[in-house]
Amino acid sequence: MTASILTVDDSASMRQAIKVALRSGGFAVEEAVNGAEGLTKAASGQFNLIITDLNMPVMDGLTMIRELRARGSAVGVPILFLTTESDDGIKQQCRAAGATGWVTKPFEPDQLVRIVKKVLGQ
Amino acid sequence: MSDQDPREIFRTEARDLLEEIEQGLLDLVEGTDDRELVNAVFRGLHTLKGSGAMFGFDALAAFTHHCETAFDRVRKGEVRATPDLITAVLNARDHMRALVEDGAVGREAEGEELLADLHRVLALADGPAAADAADPTTWRIGFSLPANAMVNGINPLALLAELRSLGACEVVASTDAVPMLGELVPTECHLAWTVVLHTAEPRAAIEEVFIFVMDEMNLEIEAIDGVEIVAAEEAEAKVDETALGGQASPGQEGRQAQAEARKGGESVRVPAERLDELMDRVGELVIAQSRLKQLASASTDTALRSVSEEVERLAGELRDTMMVVRMVPISTLFGRFRRLTHDLSRDTGKAIELSTRGEATELDKTIIERLADPLIHLIRNAADHGLETPEQRLAAGKPIEGQLTLSAVHSGAEVVITLSDDGRGIDRAKVRAKAEESGLLAPGAAITDAELLQMIFQPGFSTASAITSLSGRGVGMDVVKRTIEGLRGTIDITSTPGQGSHMSLRIPLTLAIIDGLLVRVGEGRYVIPLAAVEECVELSPEQDARSTGRSMISLRDEFVPFLRLRELFSTNLPSEPHQKLVVVSTGEERVGLVVDQIIGDHQTVIKALSKLHADVETFSGATILGDGGVALILDVAHLVAAGQQLEKRLAAAS
Amino acid sequence: MNQPDANLNAEDLVEVLTFDLRRETFALEAGLVREILDLTAETEVPGAGAFVGAVINFRGKVIPVADLSFAFGLGQREATRDSRIVVVELDLDGDPTLIGLRADKVHEVATLSMAATEAAPRVGMRWRQDYVRCVGRRGGEPLIIPDLACIFAHRGEPGASAAHIHSLH
Repeated sequence: MTASILTVDDSASMRQAIKVALRSGGFAVEEAVNGAEGLTKAASGQFNLIITDLNMPVMDGLTMIRELRARGSAVGVPILFLTTESDDGIKQQCRAAGATGWVTKPFEPDQLVRIVKKVLGQ
Repeated sequence: MSDQDPREIFRTEARDLLEEIEQGLLDLVEGTDDRELVNAVFRGLHTLKGSGAMFGFDALAAFTHHCETAFDRVRKGEVRATPDLITAVLNARDHMRALVEDGAVGREAEGEELLADLHRVLALADGPAAADAADPTTWRIGFSLPANAMVNGINPLALLAELRSLGACEVVASTDAVPMLGELVPTECHLAWTVVLHTAEPRAAIEEVFIFVMDEMNLEIEAIDGVEIVAAEEAEAKVDETALGGQASPGQEGRQAQAEARKGGESVRVPAERLDELMDRVGELVIAQSRLKQLASASTDTALRSVSEEVERLAGELRDTMMVVRMVPISTLFGRFRRLTHDLSRDTGKAIELSTRGEATELDKTIIERLADPLIHLIRNAADHGLETPEQRLAAGKPIEGQLTLSAVHSGAEVVITLSDDGRGIDRAKVRAKAEESGLLAPGAAITDAELLQMIFQPGFSTASAITSLSGRGVGMDVVKRTIEGLRGTIDITSTPGQGSHMSLRIPLTLAIIDGLLVRVGEGRYVIPLAAVEECVELSPEQDARSTGRSMISLRDEFVPFLRLRELFSTNLPSEPHQKLVVVSTGEERVGLVVDQIIGDHQTVIKALSKLHADVETFSGATILGDGGVALILDVAHLVAAGQQLEKRLAAAS
Repeated sequence: MNQPDANLNAEDLVEVLTFDLRRETFALEAGLVREILDLTAETEVPGAGAFVGAVINFRGKVIPVADLSFAFGLGQREATRDSRIVVVELDLDGDPTLIGLRADKVHEVATLSMAATEAAPRVGMRWRQDYVRCVGRRGGEPLIIPDLACIFAHRGEPGASAAHIHSLH
């Protein structure tokens, strides 16, 4: 069965870049443009993994991660957040909120796929 | 404009990466079979590919990917780094550069060809290098996860699978911490694992597996000795064994490469235009300060005068700092020439060695850029015409490798850059013949050796019987000379037949600000670059009268050709009683300039004249004086030449 | 025939600055004008020729002062209280260049209707035809729109014929 991934990012080009990379890795991809939409879509329970940016309008990534875990909308579902290298404090915050791992920007397509596969145990 | 186009940011970084890749490859060619170098080149390619993909340079990323794969094989020791392979990658690098700078349109065929070449050479070079393989080690890895690990998406099976991908594993799970069924929360993780792993991968690869959970878990990694591992099925938990090929962890390396590419935090990137703007502001400040000084010196207000002095000091320091900021070591230029020499060597079939000296010598950034083309042409010329073929060299008792030496050194307010070769030297007879043929020289006319050699710089002059693709690209020696003179520099040649030639370029250190001597001729004021001024003497009316109609003036024991600037500038004003003679020189030749008055020293911010005045060769620029007026800067080289011409004509006529 | 060329915007109406040189009135696109200066200290450039015989200091830059009256053979100028230098920015061989244009008197910025202009007549012109883009009218008098690109490309050379066949008046 093809694994399904939810991408949450307000940047259209970023969503596009991620979608292309993940599709080439054999994944199905759906998108949300901010944390609130991400929450709604994740509630459907259909995703094997969620990738989210942190800086978004309406609801940012950190809040979304907290809410997802608090509501139990994504039990056992790995959540990856996008960050820049130097953001150590952010990494801790997100992990504490329940994120599984991170992807550092800029990343190359097959790096992203590798991390996704690592986390999914493929 | 505060925001830069992200693609431009990438281009800047890409240029640096491509430069490093090239230098690394060139070092490899020279026989340094260095693992570090190979790694460095690989990392460069890797980063370039990644960032390229990031910023939409898809063709570049795709192309670089192939090169990276090829080079990865070298890195792993599967393939030797043969000279042919290096050359193929160098060519590929040039293609990458073209993709970065000019875009991908129309380059597909070129790319295909280069890759085909690369693969062909790769196949030839196939065979393990005598590289050291990493030693396999046995590790005991014990780990346990926090209770909420699985809720938060961490899959222990994924971790175990990844460990298995590193090598043969024996996994044992411990259920000691698992609570009784009644108290068990199914989503919590209470298992712990001990894994014995046999792998050639470094410890870091093992740590990489746990990178996301590192902070919150218990993890112990211990190297143990010679325990035979039998890859066994996991006994307790049901494990979905997906066979994975032995993979290295490119993710980790990618991070490393990025970190390395981003290090060097001691410097700050500044777009070149900002530096130029800053330079303009400093220039204007110097002008304004000059006016302030004038006003202050005419005033009795001591406070004003004191502030003016302070401002003068500060402006001077700022100016000096700006000079330094724009200075860049000439090694950036010399570095390019290594590649050039490598290619020339290949194209001409001659063995050529380029040695450089004085790479740390610093020059103004813009000067360096403008020197690139002339120097490239001179090097091509030396390789093409100066150096003999290996057979000829052997016959002449010279070592097979032709020597090219580039050196740069500060000399006073100038930089002297020399290019020497140990080739056949300049054939005077050939030069003479060509000069006479081009009408530059009357047959049989007497001419000094130095002058004969200077003929090479005349437009239209070329002794090459065939215009090779190397030298004959429309960049003749005359253009080289003009470019150097455009930098207010001079170029000289000396040459010994059979032994070699020596080109010497002298360039003043800064383009923008010079010290000048301010003089008056008629009603106009002019500036003479102080570096060119040898001496100033008074021209007595008697001397003036004696020299009327003549072109030489006696200065102590010598005769110096001289020009009356008043006549040259057609001022039509009557003579002044206290004229001065300013003797200027270009190093070898001198001319005396007769002016009405020497006003004094003047620090000059050079302003370029517009294209409309480009043909007025007497002046090389202009400057704004303290009172806001404009003074034209005399082009000493031109005036000296004019003086020489005058002298010759009169000599010929008499 | 000289056509009003596509350099002027495609629309019919153009803002122009009008000024006198001797007895002729010229117009140039207002968009080219950077500043209008009173006569200021000039520095002669020996050997530069009459078209661009001098330079001035304009905001810290040394810019040439061009005399269109030389290009049009209009005779010597006499500096008066009304004399001005109109600083324009023109494209010279691809580089934007600041140039000061002499003017005996500067008039208003006017709106010119291109449709109402005529091509310069083939005969009866005292000047090089290629120097004149077209001719309009201002207060009943002819208004010359010079082809600055052409004039500067030829460095203001007035051309062989200075014979007065007709004047435009």
